[in-house]
Amino acid sequence: MNTLLRAVCCLTLAAPLWAQVQPTPQGHESPADATLRQTGRDEAPLPEKNPFESPDDLAKGNDLFQTHCSYCHGAFGEGGRGADLTTGLYRYGGSDVELYRTIRDGIPGSEMGPPRVARDDLWRIVGFVKKLGTAEPEQAPGDRGAGKAVYEQTGCASCHIVRGEGGILGPELTDIGRRRGLAFLEESIVKPEADLPVNYRGTRLVTAGGQTIAGIRLNEDDYSIQIRDTGGNPRSFLKRELKEIRRDNPSLMPAYGSILSKAQLADLVAYLSSLKGAP
Amino acid sequence: MSALRIRTIRGVALAALAAAAVLLHGQGLPITYERLLNPDNEPGNWLMYSRTYDGHRYSPLDQINRENVDRLQVKWLFQGRHQEKFETTPLVVDGIMYLTRPENDIFALDAETGRTLWSYSHRNPPETYNCCGRVNRGLAILGDRLFMNTLDMHVLAVDAKSGRELWKTKIFDYKAAGGYASTGAPLVVKDKLIVGMAGGEHGVSGFLDAYDTKTGERLWRFHTIPQPGEANFGTWAGDSWKTGGAGTWNNGSYDPELNLLYWGVGNPWPDYNGDFRKGDNLYSGSVIALDADTGKLKWHFQFTPHDLHDWDATQIPVLLDAEFRGQPRKLIVWPNRNGFYYVLDRTNGQFLLAKEFVKQTWAKGIDDNGRPIVIPGYEPTLDGITHIWPGIDGAANWMSHSYNPITKLLYVFAREERRVFTKSGPPTLPTTDPRALDEQRTERRRAWRRSRPPRFAPEESWGKVIGIAPTTGDIQWEHRVLTVPWGGVMSTAGNLVVGATFEGNVFALDAFTGEVLWRFLGNDRVYASPMSFLSRGKQHISIPVGDVLITFSIDGK
Repeated sequence: MNTLLRAVCCLTLAAPLWAQVQPTPQGHESPADATLRQTGRDEAPLPEKNPFESPDDLAKGNDLFQTHCSYCHGAFGEGGRGADLTTGLYRYGGSDVELYRTIRDGIPGSEMGPPRVARDDLWRIVGFVKKLGTAEPEQAPGDRGAGKAVYEQTGCASCHIVRGEGGILGPELTDIGRRRGLAFLEESIVKPEADLPVNYRGTRLVTAGGQTIAGIRLNEDDYSIQIRDTGGNPRSFLKRELKEIRRDNPSLMPAYGSILSKAQLADLVAYLSSLKGAP
Repeated sequence: MSALRIRTIRGVALAALAAAAVLLHGQGLPITYERLLNPDNEPGNWLMYSRTYDGHRYSPLDQINRENVDRLQVKWLFQGRHQEKFETTPLVVDGIMYLTRPENDIFALDAETGRTLWSYSHRNPPETYNCCGRVNRGLAILGDRLFMNTLDMHVLAVDAKSGRELWKTKIFDYKAAGGYASTGAPLVVKDKLIVGMAGGEHGVSGFLDAYDTKTGERLWRFHTIPQPGEANFGTWAGDSWKTGGAGTWNNGSYDPELNLLYWGVGNPWPDYNGDFRKGDNLYSGSVIALDADTGKLKWHFQFTPHDLHDWDATQIPVLLDAEFRGQPRKLIVWPNRNGFYYVLDRTNGQFLLAKEFVKQTWAKGIDDNGRPIVIPGYEPTLDGITHIWPGIDGAANWMSHSYNPITKLLYVFAREERRVFTKSGPPTLPTTDPRALDEQRTERRRAWRRSRPPRFAPEESWGKVIGIAPTTGDIQWEHRVLTVPWGGVMSTAGNLVVGATFEGNVFALDAFTGEVLWRFLGNDRVYASPMSFLSRGKQHISIPVGDVLITFSIDGK
């Protein structure tokens, strides 16, 4: 079959299947669903955007998540055996269709297999999973522009990246406003250790010679520890050559509650909340 | 015919006779049941999952020992080339290693070089319903046959010389209920193959089967949830017995004198929600002792009645004969997923002793009948609770413990883990009261709005290899490691305890003290227990690290 003919055939076959991607009454299995269930293959083209995002879909997505996902990801998506889904960061892509594919196919080499659900329900799970890592829309009381100035003057950029600019000792903030709500952002500024990503845990190493090296922990086993020092350099140390490994201050970031005024804090939160991703 | 030629023929004939004599002395195949009963006659072989029927995972080889273990080096690798967790324990029969590779492939290797002799593949459908990876833990052997369980609920036999399939029997519909799978190694007892199943994360109904090793015909099935009319049927409220889980997904042990088969039973379903399955939910969270010929229940002991924390009792049963409080006893000892170490009389299931071996916060203790005295508030809630140790994956899981008859210690790679317990969701709960379901569903949705997931510091969880005095439960030594383990341990007559951390640090500890004598940085996840064998008269140790089976020997020779 030549390429053109094959393409035409595919389109012809795809058209009626596409029609069936549209929402179907619950309990009714579309042919596309049946194909997916029976063969594990999704033969219809996928919409880029989730067609099942109503509040009712979301509630059903929660129920489905509890049945199929919470065993490893936790009832609130907090993680455990599986990944933490509340961070809004997805290794295999965070668009609707990327999440759909990840959930539909499972992740090879992990414990995550494909859940046994119909296509429409897959979309409902996508909607709920996305919700777990997305901030509710809120109106920030502070001034976004003033907050940007606070961000720059306080030196936040020495550790955090926004749109390609900044340091690498702290997590990137380019889309932090999409992922985190106002209360979370404020808490992270006044009490940075409250919710610390696992790869940004502050560690202080005391060498045999008495030198202290601060950094964030990148990796560790029983014999060695790898950190990124405050200069941004990845470094590795054998534990037997260290006098002490201190973990008592798990965030390298200072608590800014007493440094910033209330107004400055509100402005900074408003600025961070406005960061929704690269333009 | 020249004299030289006659001498040559005579020489060949003598050599053939000598080879036959070697075979007669129990070398190579076939593996008779007699050989399985007498593993000490062939210390260089590993003929079943735990090496011996008593579940000791102990090697009587002592060439690698405390004096020379620092010279242990990699000899060869078997490159698995797969992405799944590599949980297998290989078998070794006189220079040939047989192992499973995920998903359901069998390889025969030259144990000296790791070179492949033959391979066999069972193809599973794209969707299978294993909870925790498309894994397999190993093989059983009898005669010239190897046996394997599959993810799509088959059990099969292949010719150990060629890998040719001899029979394949469907155990159960793998799509039924929430889905069944079989991931454990089967166990040969006499001419029977004992086969377990998994699926306790869904509403399955557990059983343990015996098959004819020659034909694959099923000989008996024991239901781990009593059926109507059977004893203990009333330990499940309403219809919850129909979907109560109670899998048998690991390997078991066997006492030939008592003709009793000991097998651990998994959690009741739904895992973290007991509302619709009130009662003790027998035989979930129990050890069952079955007549190996008939599959009839001789006794049972339930470690965790009405479990709400997914604390399967699917650990490998360890059988030992020892003096207990002045009396010689036939014991079964059990470091359980619920955080307590148990000693029972294996002739009748009598409870003798229980003691914590990790931090636990759910029970004040275990009463004189072996029943936990639970602390109110230990039940998972819809908002999630964070004060219960051990964690969801438990203090011990499926990974093997080891008993060493020289040190008389039981070695456990224990798990100190902090996790959240949240009452599981109601959508598919079995109930005759749909209104109750609706209420829970609404309440869960509310809980989701008000709750925030807690995050624990990595330091709050860790692992430890411990040496337990088996008749007292006292911990004689402890070797702490950074991360909660998913590997088991083997001990040897060289007085070593071998295992590997989750980061892939393979270690050998002094079996008397727990001191680290040797290590190798494998740098990948370990989900397996080690084993040991002889090849060309030299001791080797094998363990899967990542997707590679690593085989070590002294100086790599």
